Amino acid sequence: MSASFTEDQEDLRGLVRRFCAERSPSGEVRRVMESPESWDPKLWSQLTELGLPGIAIPEEYGGAGAGAVELMIVVEELGRALLISPYLSSVAFAGQALSSSGDEAAKQRWLPGIADGSVVATLAVAEETGSWELDDAATTASRSGDGWTLNGTKSFVTDGDTADLLLVVARADDELGLFAVERAVSGLRTEKLSMVDLTRDMARVRLDDAPATKVEQADLATTRDLVLTALAAEQIGGAGRCLEMAVEYAKVREQFGRPIGSFQAIKHKCADLLVEVESGRSASYYASGVAGQPGVEAAVAAALAKAYCADVYTHAAKENIQIHGGIGFTWEHDAHLYLKRAKSDEVLFGSPAQHRSRLAALTGIREAR
Amino acid sequence: MTQETDAEFRSRLREFFTRHHPGRRPRDKRERLAWQRAWNAKLFDAGLAGPSWPVEYGGMDLSFERQVIYQEEFARARVPGPPATGVGIAGPTIVTYGTEEQKKRWLPAMLRADKVWAQAFSEPGAGSDLQALRTTARRDGEEYVVNGQKVWNSRADEADILFTLVRTGTQESRQHGISYLVIDAHAPGVEVRPLRDLTGGSDFCEIFFDDVRVPVADRIGEENGGWQLVRTSLGHERAAGAMNQAAMYRRVLDELIRLATERGATADPLVCDRLVEFDVRVRVMRYNAMRIIDSITTAGEPGPASSISRILISRFEQDLHEFAVDLLGATGLLTRESTEAVQSGRWLYGFLRTRASTIGAGTLEIQRNTVAEQVLGLPYDPAMPAR
Repeated sequence: MSASFTEDQEDLRGLVRRFCAERSPSGEVRRVMESPESWDPKLWSQLTELGLPGIAIPEEYGGAGAGAVELMIVVEELGRALLISPYLSSVAFAGQALSSSGDEAAKQRWLPGIADGSVVATLAVAEETGSWELDDAATTASRSGDGWTLNGTKSFVTDGDTADLLLVVARADDELGLFAVERAVSGLRTEKLSMVDLTRDMARVRLDDAPATKVEQADLATTRDLVLTALAAEQIGGAGRCLEMAVEYAKVREQFGRPIGSFQAIKHKCADLLVEVESGRSASYYASGVAGQPGVEAAVAAALAKAYCADVYTHAAKENIQIHGGIGFTWEHDAHLYLKRAKSDEVLFGSPAQHRSRLAALTGIREAR
Repeated sequence: MTQETDAEFRSRLREFFTRHHPGRRPRDKRERLAWQRAWNAKLFDAGLAGPSWPVEYGGMDLSFERQVIYQEEFARARVPGPPATGVGIAGPTIVTYGTEEQKKRWLPAMLRADKVWAQAFSEPGAGSDLQALRTTARRDGEEYVVNGQKVWNSRADEADILFTLVRTGTQESRQHGISYLVIDAHAPGVEVRPLRDLTGGSDFCEIFFDDVRVPVADRIGEENGGWQLVRTSLGHERAAGAMNQAAMYRRVLDELIRLATERGATADPLVCDRLVEFDVRVRVMRYNAMRIIDSITTAGEPGPASSISRILISRFEQDLHEFAVDLLGATGLLTRESTEAVQSGRWLYGFLRTRASTIGAGTLEIQRNTVAEQVLGLPYDPAMPAR
């Protein structure tokens, strides 16, 4: 793998960064955040016009056929700007879950819609216990005629209240599978949860004999690793922005007749954050470089990147508030939006402690019992 | 003649390092120096010394990609590097700023380890604030007369030649009154004393200069122009070895994991969690190194990841050794002299030794200032002397 980017990849980053700055500056983020809608359909269609949802979807399904690195770049930039959209849910979660499956019919049916943004999808793993451990899924799938019906309650489903298509992890005869549930069906009820992160909606999803289609040959382990890699990218995008904000402020805010950034107490905080953010970037880039490869290396890299970048993001978000002082504690300053996203991302698809525990097994430090 | 491919270059190195491997590192200090010198002379004579140095002074002048290969094979073979600190620090400075005569006189002999060079920069009153140094060099015709004291000089007791920073301007002139002077360690008036450090050993020395006469021809760069020469490196030679450092710590960590497993300690989830934390950090070190090397080969610049490597590594080695000592409990406190010490007391020694990791070559605090100012662009402290 290569740890640096091609010119096309750098151009892509520039494009997304400009898009975020022009179409979704802080004021826009706040407008959507405080509106009843989960995300702005106009902004979503603008994102779609740039072809961003289809970036990593194979060309035969209407995508651009680029790889995990390009997807990571987009997610990192959207995370940096806290742009509110179902991109992560639809493209990084559900899109990759479908792409990595062996179900040709399901791919042909849904991927083109995800690629052109006309279908918004998401992935439902956790239930009311708040665990994203695949084995903890209790929702059941039972055969009914040609199809399946699902019963159970999923929770903390990102954009679950607005998604047209929900890919649900459920148990059929003691075996975990992935099942597609479309919005229009009976027996599906979703309700938005009141969660700390105001820039991403989460929902409870009730399934009462909800008709579903099984996604054949779904690769749940690979899906999880791809999801973790995408989350790491979002986290490091946000963490990098927190450091930038803190440094920008420390350069101009004066106390005792000098910029506060000239004090070592502030410098050392910022230097420590730089060490963490650059390390997290290296971990995120590496994970996206090996994403989808068979073998334990990709799984280790994904779990590591997610756990590491989660800690970095939360630390950076907290230090950003601290360096801003009183102004950082106000509602009108964006610092709290990043802290809330950081905490939300930290638990989404498993906490750092859980992933480190998985790493203990994956690396052989804790021998299998 | 056809060009040697990267693979051929690698196997030529591997073959040479295997065939001529100098054997285990002697414990005795004197024997160790002789062992190191003999190996470096052998490398030099075979044209395999100084990967980043110009060919005319005995180096190999390799491309960056080849330097990476060289460093990988060098680390893999576990052969000794050059003695003391000359090749790594003074060498690049002379290559860049030395006169032709100086380069010819000094570089090949340094690289061949015929002459061992050691750094003499810090002083009792000038550590982090190196620009406050007080060792004076008074001009007397074609000579300088040097007086003063240096301290914390790694392996200066092994050195034939000392490369120093001395004051040729007024004390107030700070960095504008400092010259870079090369001093014969065996000259009259030079006294090098090993300094016992907290490990009980003595890697560092203190040096006293009492009316030491040094030819003006042994000054590198302009008089009072020594400060700019201090942090010279050749291209990205240090980055070429970045992967090896990660590989070396991978090895050390694997040894610790093995030890913990043998002792049944990994049944404790807290121990497991700490070991995973170190595993993560060592992998991140490797990812950083890959990013730096990739960035140099594609963009010609090491990029932001390079500025943080040292901070990351110095903390890692401290934390790792301390954890190992804690893991061993009371047994971990047995010294190297004890026959019962686990693995000859290496973890305790490492715990003590790595206290210096966040002090030498710029304290952690100074490094964080530097990173904050030079990478993040935070303002200088107005209370500090002007730069």
